[in-house]
Amino acid sequence: MKGIIALLLIATSSICNATEQAEAIFKQLAPSLYQIRLIDKASGEKSSIGSGFQITSDGLIATNYHVISGYARHPSKYRIEYLDNKGNKGNLELKSVEVINDLALVKRKVATEMPFFVISESTPTKGEELFSLGNPHDLGMIVVPGTYNGLKKESFNDRIHFTGSVNSGMSGGPVVNAQTEVVGINVATSGNQIGFLVPHDKLISLFNAYKIAPPENIEQQMLAQLSKNQEKLISTILASEWELKQLGESLIPTVNVPFIKCWGDSNADKPDALILTAVANCTLEENTYLSSHFFTGFLEMEYRYMQAKELSDTKFYTLYEQQIKRAGPANKATKEDVTEFQCQHDIVMPPHQGIKNKTIFCTRAYKDFPGLFDILYLAASIDKNDRALLSHFTVAGVTQDSAMAFTKKFMESVTWK
Amino acid sequence: MEIIIEEISKGHKLIGRHKFSQPSLNIGRGYQNDIIISDPHVCADHLNFNFDGEAWFVSDADTINGSFLEDSKQVINNHKIKSGDVISLGKSQIRVYFPNHPIEDTATFSPFENLINIARHPATIAFSIALFAFVTGFIFYLNNGKEVTFTQLLVPAISMTLMFALWPAAISVVSHLTKHDARITSQLGICFIFFNLMWVSDIIERFVQFNVSSQWPLMWLVSIVPIGLAFCLFWFNCSIGFHTTERRRMVISIGLTVLLYGGTELIQLSKKPEFNPLPQYNATLMTPNFNITASSSVDEFVADSTKLFEKATKEIDKD
Repeated sequence: MKGIIALLLIATSSICNATEQAEAIFKQLAPSLYQIRLIDKASGEKSSIGSGFQITSDGLIATNYHVISGYARHPSKYRIEYLDNKGNKGNLELKSVEVINDLALVKRKVATEMPFFVISESTPTKGEELFSLGNPHDLGMIVVPGTYNGLKKESFNDRIHFTGSVNSGMSGGPVVNAQTEVVGINVATSGNQIGFLVPHDKLISLFNAYKIAPPENIEQQMLAQLSKNQEKLISTILASEWELKQLGESLIPTVNVPFIKCWGDSNADKPDALILTAVANCTLEENTYLSSHFFTGFLEMEYRYMQAKELSDTKFYTLYEQQIKRAGPANKATKEDVTEFQCQHDIVMPPHQGIKNKTIFCTRAYKDFPGLFDILYLAASIDKNDRALLSHFTVAGVTQDSAMAFTKKFMESVTWK
Repeated sequence: MEIIIEEISKGHKLIGRHKFSQPSLNIGRGYQNDIIISDPHVCADHLNFNFDGEAWFVSDADTINGSFLEDSKQVINNHKIKSGDVISLGKSQIRVYFPNHPIEDTATFSPFENLINIARHPATIAFSIALFAFVTGFIFYLNNGKEVTFTQLLVPAISMTLMFALWPAAISVVSHLTKHDARITSQLGICFIFFNLMWVSDIIERFVQFNVSSQWPLMWLVSIVPIGLAFCLFWFNCSIGFHTTERRRMVISIGLTVLLYGGTELIQLSKKPEFNPLPQYNATLMTPNFNITASSSVDEFVADSTKLFEKATKEIDKD
C-alpha cells in the first residue's frame, strides 16, 4: 500500500512538474511568438492563419511556407500580417522560402532589440520531452507537451515524428526542448497524437543562406529548390535497385527505396467478373505543397494485370480499351499553374523484351517554373490475346532530362514472365 | 390557236393542266366555266380568254378581288398573252402556254440509277438492315462489362435501327410533300448501305489509329472518309427524292454535310472547358492480329517525346 501511494505521489509530482515547466516556457517565450495571418486585400479579412516565431533580435520570423503560400504565389492579392501576444498587429515582409521543407522567413519592423528564440545546435534524444507552441484554430496561443520520437521512417525529406497534438493553425509554430531551444517547426498532423515537425537543421540552413545572400526573387528561389529536389529524387530512384515482382504472368518493377510504398488489390473474390484483375500501386507518400490548388513532387506507378475468363478476344480488348481511356494526373494543378497536356502514342517494343505495348506519353509544362513538367505515361500490352498488362506512372515537377531517364528505365523494366 | 392553261401552286408547282382548241374560254368558281377554280376569293365569272384570229387576249370580268399578271398591280384588261405568262386570281395562280413553247433538253439517266435499282431490291434492303442491326447489337455486346443475353441485345439493336430508319422516312415524306415520288424503298436501301459503309470506315479509322503513331502525318485523310460518305449519302438522297439541277443537288448535299459535321464540331467546342486538366490521347486498342506495323524502339519513342516538351513549353507563351 505504501508503495502504491509513493508511486502515485511520484506520478502526480511529475505531472505537476511538466505543467509548471510548460507554463514557465510559455511565459518566457510568449513575446517572440506570433500569429501569422494572410489578409486578402480586397475584402480586408484574413484568408488563412498560422503561427510563427522570431529568430533574430531585429524581427526575422520563421513560419511554414504553406501559411504564406498565397502571398508567395499572388503577391498582389494578399498582404502578410502578424498578431503578437499583446494584440499588436503589423505588416510582414516575405524574405525567403524553402518549399521542399515547407519553411519561410518573414520580417517585421522593430524599434528596439527584441527577445528571440534560439535554435538548438543538437538533435533531441528519443523520448525527450518537447513543447510545441502555436495558435490552433485561432483559439489563442497554447503550449502542447509531447515526445520526440526520432525522424519519420521511410520519408524522402526528413520529418520529426512528434507524439503530441499538432492542430491546424499551429503550423509554423516552434517546438522547443526544456532549454527553450528550437528543435523543430510544426508542419503537419496525422490524427490523434501524431504530429510531424520540420527538423531544426533545415531552418538553420535556410537562415544561414539568407544571412549570406537574401534571395532576389522568391519564384526563382522556389524553382531552384524544386529543380534540386526532383533531381535528388529521380537520381536516387534511378540509382536504387529496381526489383522485378510477379503480377499475374507479368514482371513489374518496384523501386527498392523506403519512401515508395506499394499496395495491391484484386477482384479474385468476384466469381462473376468477366476479367480477372490484379492491381499493384506504388507511390511516393509525400508531395510538395505550392498552393492549395497546386501540388508537385509526386510520383506514382501503377500496374494492372488482366486475364479474360471465357471471353472472346475482341470483347476482352474492347473492355481493356475502356480501362485506359480516362487517365488523369495524380497532382492537383489549375489553369494558372500548368498548360494543358500534350500527348503522343506509338507501338513500342523494348529491346530484348518479350512485350509489345501501345504506349501513350503526355506532358504539361509549369507556367511559373520554366523547365519543370508533369508526366503521364500509359502502356497497354497488345501481344497476348486473352491477357494484358497495363503499366502506368505519373511524376510531377520534373525536368525533361529526369523525365526521359525515368521513362526509359520504366519502359525497359516492364515485361512478361 | 391551241392554248394550254396550267393551274399552279404559289411555289409554281403544277396542280392541273388543260388544253383547249376553242376560240374563247372562261375561268371562274361557277360550274359553267371551262376551268373551275374552287378558291373562295375567285368570282363565279372571273377571267375571259378570247382568240381574235391572230393572238389570245385575256380580260378580268370586273371581279371583286381582280386578276393580275405576276409582279404587276394593274388589273388585267384585254392583255395580249405571251407564252409563259402567270396570272394571279384570288389566291390561285394559272400559267398560260402555247404549243410552240420551248422545253428543256431530255435528262439522261443518272449513272447511279443502276446502283439505286440494286439498293431498292427487297433482298438488298433486308440484308443491309439486318447487317446494321447485327453490328449495332454486337457493339452493345462488346461494350457491356457484364454477361448479356441475346434478348438484352435485341432491344438496343432494334431501337437503334428504327431510329436510323427515321432519316430515309423523313426524306420520303418531304419529297412526297413537294409533289415528288416518295420512293421510300430506294431511300431505305441507299441509306442503310451507307450506314453500313460508315461502320466500315469506323473500323478502318480504328485500325489506322491503332497501328500508326501519333507522328503519322496523314491521319486527317482517314478522318475525312466518314465526311465523304455522308456527302455521298445526302447526294443520293437528293437525286432519288427530288428533280433538281446538278448544282442545286451539290449545294444541298454540301450544306447538309456541313450542318451535320460542323454542328457536331460546334457542340463539342461549346462544351470544351477553358482548361482541361485531363490529357487527351488516342487509346484505341485492337486484338494482336490487327497489329501490322513494326514497333518503335524505346529510344525512338523517347526521342519523339522531345517535341512534346517543346510544344508544352510553347503553350506557356500562348496565354
